Amino acid sequence: MTALASGQIRFHWRSSSLLAATSIAGIAAFTWPLFTRPRGSENLAHSGDAPWVFIVLVPLLVAILLSELADGALDAKAVAMLGVLVACGAVLRAPTTGVTGFTGVFFLLIPGGRVFGRGFGFVQGALTMFASALLTGGVGPWLPFQMLCTAWVGFFAGCLPRAQGRSELALLATYGAIAGLVYGLVMDMWFWPFGTSGTQLHFVAGAAITENLRRFWAFHLASALGFDLPRAAGNALLVLVAGTPVLAALRRAARRAAFGAPVHFEPHGP
Amino acid sequence: MRPRSVHPLAWWIWALALATAALRTTDPLLLALLIAVAWLVVAARRSNAPWARSFGSFLRFGVAIIVVRIALQMLFGERLPGHVLFTLPHYAMPSWAAGVTLGGTVTTESVVAAFNEGLQLATLIACVGAANSLASPYRLLRVVPSVLYELGVVVTVALSFAPQTVVAAAGIRDARRLRGRPHRGLRGLRGLAVPVLEGALERSLDLAASMDSRGYGRRGDLTDRRRRAGQTATLLGTLAIIVGVFGVLDSGAPFVLGLPMLGVGAALLVASLRAAKSSSTRSRYRPDPWGLPEWLTVGAGVSALVSLVAAGHLGIDGLHPDYSPLVAPALPLLPAIGILAAAVPAFASPRPPVETT
Repeated sequence: MTALASGQIRFHWRSSSLLAATSIAGIAAFTWPLFTRPRGSENLAHSGDAPWVFIVLVPLLVAILLSELADGALDAKAVAMLGVLVACGAVLRAPTTGVTGFTGVFFLLIPGGRVFGRGFGFVQGALTMFASALLTGGVGPWLPFQMLCTAWVGFFAGCLPRAQGRSELALLATYGAIAGLVYGLVMDMWFWPFGTSGTQLHFVAGAAITENLRRFWAFHLASALGFDLPRAAGNALLVLVAGTPVLAALRRAARRAAFGAPVHFEPHGP
Repeated sequence: MRPRSVHPLAWWIWALALATAALRTTDPLLLALLIAVAWLVVAARRSNAPWARSFGSFLRFGVAIIVVRIALQMLFGERLPGHVLFTLPHYAMPSWAAGVTLGGTVTTESVVAAFNEGLQLATLIACVGAANSLASPYRLLRVVPSVLYELGVVVTVALSFAPQTVVAAAGIRDARRLRGRPHRGLRGLRGLAVPVLEGALERSLDLAASMDSRGYGRRGDLTDRRRRAGQTATLLGTLAIIVGVFGVLDSGAPFVLGLPMLGVGAALLVASLRAAKSSSTRSRYRPDPWGLPEWLTVGAGVSALVSLVAAGHLGIDGLHPDYSPLVAPALPLLPAIGILAAAVPAFASPRPPVETT
């Protein structure tokens, strides 16, 4: 198990620092309304531009990070494995994008990140959202943010502590529930500045963080908590019901693919 | 004109130009005109592929956004003076729900303002939906920059595996039903998920073997030093852009940290992308042509955007209707003509080829 947990896509210092930088920019892209400070009219104009700056910026950063992670790290086996898991994830999402907020995306992503490691989980999460958006015709400005969010879910699934058997299942189910809630919270944070101007729920540039957080919490309660609870419960339930065989299948595939096996080329003797 | 599909990037540029145009106005008539233009072009030029039907769901999503926006305004809106429509019962939420007050008087002005802002978002979504229905995702994947080649391959594999997965799942479900095993609900899901996943993983190993035997993963003749230089440029460019964003958003920061930093970062990134591209030795199979219809499409989209930006700078009235006093929305001539010009691809671009599958 330990040999598999080391994962297929490894992080060296460059991709780690790029991941850190992108994540900081990503956090800024989600939470900027909390930190704007009105000082003169110029800033007010810019705080209107901020969401659009991020809509241009985040896809660029996600693309760079993914290309850096994939650079030389993806051999044919990893490409095929990722492709298949992304396909299954996208198919799982297709019938579940409805009104309840429940989505099947995390169901494969969490075991995938767990078995193949955090780098794999990151790429798997991002590409699952991308492929399912292409399949269902859901490409839009929100897509890079969903990709980043889902990629984080896969990344942290690969960072979970070691556990086995029932405790591993409980760990993954709990993680699935929390990830479902946090995913909704973060995506709400992204949508927050767009839909609420002129109400008590809109952020106030320059107000204290606590005041803006209070407004955000009200918006979250009003708009989306109804979606998040089914998603969290659904994630946990799916992992509990089918987690064990799925984990076993993935581990078997990882062993058969022998990701860690070194390849030697020896000159052919005369 | 011979039927052929217009370059997907042309559709996306056209649609994003329309969407950006929608951001420049809150006039309901102009926004409705934008939606109508997008609708017309989609109706005239969409193919019969599955993704071409997505425009309708984007429109429904837009309507939902308008409804939610008005509902939020009625329940949580700031109570401003105006013509009172009706009064909702007043209720102060408990403190765990942030102490927001619910209900109160609802004025015509606030409802109209909420409708216009909701319509703006809905227009944006309709434009994006138009691009989704007009541009083929498969062709779009083929224009992915060569830096993202590996990931493009992953997504291509996923897109071609997805229909097979659906077929396999249906087959396994039928087999379980015939054997009298549970095929619905949670137990059915469990019995379904594992064989589907096992089969898919099995196929992935076959695919990997066949990719390996056909020479996948060959790397160009890039020296290590140039590769490392490119990667360092990427990293520095990203950092510069992040600093730049904070510089732009925080007016207290020195000017150098704002737009100039963003420019430096963008330049570094473009340079590293170009370096990676010039070293790539991959060729494209039957690349999509970029001809007159593509230029027309892009030009049509940009005309709408330019007309709205110009109207904004010329100070033409009616781009942002007043709410106090409430006046009937106007239809400014220059932006209206620009938006109508964006409908040109509905007549001037070639029809999509009829797919025989």
